[in-house]
Amino acid sequence: MNALKRLILDASYHLNTSDSYQKKKRFFYNLLENDKYRYKKYFDLVMITLIFISVAILIRGVKYEMSDSLIFFNSYVISIFFLIEYLLRLWLTSSITDTVIKRDEYDSLLGRDIQLSKVFSQVLRDKFRYIFSLRAIIDLLAIMPFFHELRLLRIFILFRIFKLFRYAKSFQMLTSVLATKKIEFLTLLMFASVVIFVSSILIYVMEANNPVSPINTLFDSVYWSVVTISTVGYGDVVPATSEGRFVAMAVIIAGIAVLAFTTSIVVSAFTEKLDEIKENKAIEDASKLKEFYLICGYEDVARLVALKLIKDKNRVIVIDEDYERVEKAKQDGLIALCYNPGSISSYEKLHINLASQVKVVLCLREDDVENVYTALTVRSLCKEVHILSLLMNDINRKKMIFTGINEIVYPQELIGMITREFVGQTVAFEAIHALRSDQTNFNIEEIAITDWILNNFTLVEQLDTKRYRVVLLGIYKKEKSRFFFNPLDSTVLERGDYFLVIGLGVFIKEFERYLQKKSSE
Amino acid sequence: MKETTALIFGFNKYAIEIANNVVSKYNDVKIFSLNQEDVHNKDYDITYFDLSEDWNELEAEFDLVESLAFCVLEDDAQNIFLTISLRSNFKDLTLITIAKDMESVNKLNMAGANKVIPLVETTAEIITNMIEKPIATKVLHSILYEESDLKIAQIKVENATFFHGQFPVDIEWSRYKGIIVLSIMHENMSSDFIYSSKAKHHEIKDGDIFVVVGYEADIVEFEKLIGSRCNVSWNNWGR
Repeated sequence: MNALKRLILDASYHLNTSDSYQKKKRFFYNLLENDKYRYKKYFDLVMITLIFISVAILIRGVKYEMSDSLIFFNSYVISIFFLIEYLLRLWLTSSITDTVIKRDEYDSLLGRDIQLSKVFSQVLRDKFRYIFSLRAIIDLLAIMPFFHELRLLRIFILFRIFKLFRYAKSFQMLTSVLATKKIEFLTLLMFASVVIFVSSILIYVMEANNPVSPINTLFDSVYWSVVTISTVGYGDVVPATSEGRFVAMAVIIAGIAVLAFTTSIVVSAFTEKLDEIKENKAIEDASKLKEFYLICGYEDVARLVALKLIKDKNRVIVIDEDYERVEKAKQDGLIALCYNPGSISSYEKLHINLASQVKVVLCLREDDVENVYTALTVRSLCKEVHILSLLMNDINRKKMIFTGINEIVYPQELIGMITREFVGQTVAFEAIHALRSDQTNFNIEEIAITDWILNNFTLVEQLDTKRYRVVLLGIYKKEKSRFFFNPLDSTVLERGDYFLVIGLGVFIKEFERYLQKKSSE
Repeated sequence: MKETTALIFGFNKYAIEIANNVVSKYNDVKIFSLNQEDVHNKDYDITYFDLSEDWNELEAEFDLVESLAFCVLEDDAQNIFLTISLRSNFKDLTLITIAKDMESVNKLNMAGANKVIPLVETTAEIITNMIEKPIATKVLHSILYEESDLKIAQIKVENATFFHGQFPVDIEWSRYKGIIVLSIMHENMSSDFIYSSKAKHHEIKDGDIFVVVGYEADIVEFEKLIGSRCNVSWNNWGR
């Protein structure tokens, strides 16, 4: 016995500390349960496809002879897939090694040997709790067609349809929404049951002895009652006596009430949950985005920045703690979430990875205190992410720099600088302004020099800018962090550098295409 | 003797920034405030005014043709009223105003402003450029605000014969005397990008203004060849 205990304990500690075992377990957990795991959707898709194939085979098998290979595929291959999935879920539902280790620690504390019987009963309790859950029962029934020789068991294929609930999130959402009205549905069910019960007995009493009436048994009367209260009314079973028709009228009225009540419960459940559903959807969308700009605070400047970024085909997420501002952002067609951008828990709830997903965090509240608070929160979560902030009062500039904000925009200073240039060089200013503004077709663009471009061009002289009616203002050399204005023909192009090109938008696009295509031509 | 003066209406952070930035370009900077208490400010020369002024003193004191007025009151309605008031009295005064939103921009243009700077729009535009085109923004900023050796200049063509009747499209501007010509402003005050279809069909004439970017020495050389640097009055340009 001691040897068995030792063996179980050694095996448990070994597995619990084994990296490869834990890695495998984590992988299967992610694949089966973690919605944020990138490969889960593919797994779900495979399972959904198998379910539909299985049902299609069942339908075809009703009228046509099936080939042996198809029957084999349906009965064994698909079932084995489901069986493996069921066993994996059973394995993942609770950790046996954890149970053993916890029990050992507990017993050690009390100065006695591990009690294996308690361990086994705990493990069995955990596993049976899963086995008897509705989802697990459906999973198990879906495997039953494995025993295809028993013709009756083929009908269990239909349970595979119920498995769809596991993979399609919208089904889960539907059940969760309806579950919020459990009491109302229960009341309705009670009411409908009482009406069905009373009316069935009444109609049976009044019609069963009438030779003309189609209602002869208690089953007929219950059938008639259910068909009538549901307002379906097939018309195959109808009361023949005046008393029976009187009962029918009462059941019809009760049926309308049941139907109206059901509709209103469903509608109100969805209305109440609508905001939550939308928010969850927005959070899910946000966590899936690969690269986006995060705008904290949605006021006038933020609004225009967001709309401009969207117009340029960028992805933007707005977070603001003010409900009305968030609603405004939503009306502007943006993904907006009502969370406090200055709170760490907001970023945790949103599952946003600041380092890998966010291109720039824009603190655009027209309030320096809020912007500093948000920037500090972001900086405490991520050291690398680029932060740009609006500064409303120059006296707070130092605080913003201290917070770790990378770029500060002070509107008053901008206006001062703009006016200086306005009064000096009007035409020149307008020319530069036109380049920066999106209100003209005349643009300045940055074109990154890639390996592909370098295959085609190595020197500035090879660029045919005049043909494409664009002006090469210069080259930004990334390594030297220096801008070379109007570079010489002999300037060597290097990977990672940028061309700064001026021209009409369409011509710049043509020029860019020419840079990319030349070698293939 | 009358001098060129920058007249700033409204005393706030915008007024201070504007005053600091234009002080080197004007003989005098005069700030007017609606608040009587601002008159005692020690750092700036501030005069009290109210919106019902008839501006007789202003006309007597300053050369309003050569001066430039900035309307930077924080309330858009007051700013519009002030602009109308100044324009109705002084037809030739150059008026530059700020506006909170695009709705006010249109109204200020109707009120007679030569140039309106939309605050929110401008800030948003600059922020967007900073994050979408950081290199271009930095380069243009350094050119415009002379933070590098690169300069931007307006050169008026006085020796069009130099071009021998060429059209802008015939010249490879990016390889021209070390400078880059960005746009050309014609006699009729319309401005076009150097490779735009309009500029393409326009023979270079005396009086045209080139907007050029380059190093100071190269710009001076170019200037010697074709003409001289010039200023363009807002009266001719903005409206």
